[in-house]
Amino acid sequence: MAMRVLSAMRVLSTVTLVRRPAQECRLVWRSCLVRSLATGSQLLSSALKFTDKHEWISVENGIGTVGISKFAQDSLGEVVYCSLPEVGKKLNKMDEFGTLESVKAVSELYSPLTGEVTEINGALTDNPGLVNQSCYEEGWLIKLTVDNPSELDDLMSEDAYEKYVKALED
Amino acid sequence: MCDKSAGSALSHPLLSDGNKPYSSLHYFIKMLLRPKIRSVHLLFALRITPARYESSAKEGVILQSTSNNVYENLAIEDWIHDQMNLENKNVLFIWRNVPAVVIGRHQNPWRECNIPLMRERGICLARRRSGGGTVYHDLGNINLTFFTSRKRYDRMENLNLVIRALKALQPKVDVQATSRFDLLLDQTFKISGTAAKLGRTVAYHHCTLLCTANSSLLPMVLESPYRGIKSNATPSVPSLVRNLSDADSSLTCESVMDAVASEYSAHYNNKPHVHLIDPMDESLFPGISQKKRDLYTWEWIYGKTPIFSLKTTFQILYQNSLVDFKLSMQIKNGYIEECSIDFPNHWLPKDLSNDLQSALEGCKFCPTETAFLVSTFVRTYPQDDEVHTKCNVLCEKLVSIM
Repeated sequence: MAMRVLSAMRVLSTVTLVRRPAQECRLVWRSCLVRSLATGSQLLSSALKFTDKHEWISVENGIGTVGISKFAQDSLGEVVYCSLPEVGKKLNKMDEFGTLESVKAVSELYSPLTGEVTEINGALTDNPGLVNQSCYEEGWLIKLTVDNPSELDDLMSEDAYEKYVKALED
Repeated sequence: MCDKSAGSALSHPLLSDGNKPYSSLHYFIKMLLRPKIRSVHLLFALRITPARYESSAKEGVILQSTSNNVYENLAIEDWIHDQMNLENKNVLFIWRNVPAVVIGRHQNPWRECNIPLMRERGICLARRRSGGGTVYHDLGNINLTFFTSRKRYDRMENLNLVIRALKALQPKVDVQATSRFDLLLDQTFKISGTAAKLGRTVAYHHCTLLCTANSSLLPMVLESPYRGIKSNATPSVPSLVRNLSDADSSLTCESVMDAVASEYSAHYNNKPHVHLIDPMDESLFPGISQKKRDLYTWEWIYGKTPIFSLKTTFQILYQNSLVDFKLSMQIKNGYIEECSIDFPNHWLPKDLSNDLQSALEGCKFCPTETAFLVSTFVRTYPQDDEVHTKCNVLCEKLVSIM
């Protein structure tokens, strides 16, 4: 009897495995992909660069503004809390600099570059949902100095990021 | 390192499919008898990624804690999250705690639970690294942590596995997952709450599962006695809860843990192997003691509370008359940043009252530190017994809201 139950479970497991691609988030990611990138590119300067963890950075006058991509915010769902660093915090490239909480999940945020935090987006304290509503503009997270401009070369351009996201989907 | 050792791992009983399964008890006894061998074996189970598994293929390792200490078990979660390569391996960690309240990463404990009652009953308070709301744990509650690579993170799949396990025990039990990843019994009562943490490459989803928990204590400890806290911390959503054993007496912690382990193993076409682990085994989990200490610090449990303000009023009975007080504080990183206490002018000299408020600014929002600070403060007024008494009763009141 126990064996029969186990066999039945295995069949169930197989079915689950086959259904894996249709997981939470994935469908949402796919549907928003094209729109997100198109919108993003029109709103900000051509200097928009992306990490493989879905943060973006745009650099102006030696200061980088960091946020998360529309792709990322879509997959996270409604952001309910943003934990951001203090101004003056020194970050190395890919250091964890904060967390976002959405639908009971905490996601770590990683710095695209080495630098010192010069400003955090205070509007997110009262309105963390800005990350969802306007991830490339009002929903930015931190600004930081760009200590090693050459690190920008390691980040993805918008085109490369778009391909990267598509590859994740496949 | 992983690839080089893969050959040894393949011949290891914990990683081969064809070996005789170890029951928890059997394995536990084996561990007691042969501690050195156990360590080596589990190191393989935890770290080695056998070369035979392709990136799409998965292996499922089941670990069960021998500890009922919430900080030790949360430290294991941190260790696996930080140290393990889960590219080709999933891990299920099963653990239970003695009575504890566990708040989410961005929550305010003063708003979420009854801290004075917990101190009185010796119930631990812990802050986990995942999101979500506050939960009560005791030995009648099971915690299941599903570790995967970030890519394979899928909470609904895990919850469906739990539901299949419950149905295997009692086919008639009505348990369903909600869109907020809770499990509801009879479409009404919450039996399980979920939270998750997404790291660089590893993600975990953990959930509680109430089997035979103390259902009268639970609502009492999850009800804050404090009013007047204003904060952007993530609030819990109160729910009607129930134990699984209320639906069917066969659904005990032991039977449910076994059923979940069987279902998890079946998912990977393995025979059930549950590896019992001791979270304080430094040889197996290097650095684990430090992780436990980090989780046990005041700075983590209370200090990580998002900035909040407290506005409240209270009365103090002094020499047969009631005196009204208005308290207003801002607390950042657990420290009192701004403090204002209003009371009738005659009660304490104005200068002294200002000095006391200034002294409190910069102090931890914590009973012991506040009491120490006030006792130090009153010593600067050595000749005045009345001031001592008044400051002390005021201090008692302040401490009671911390």
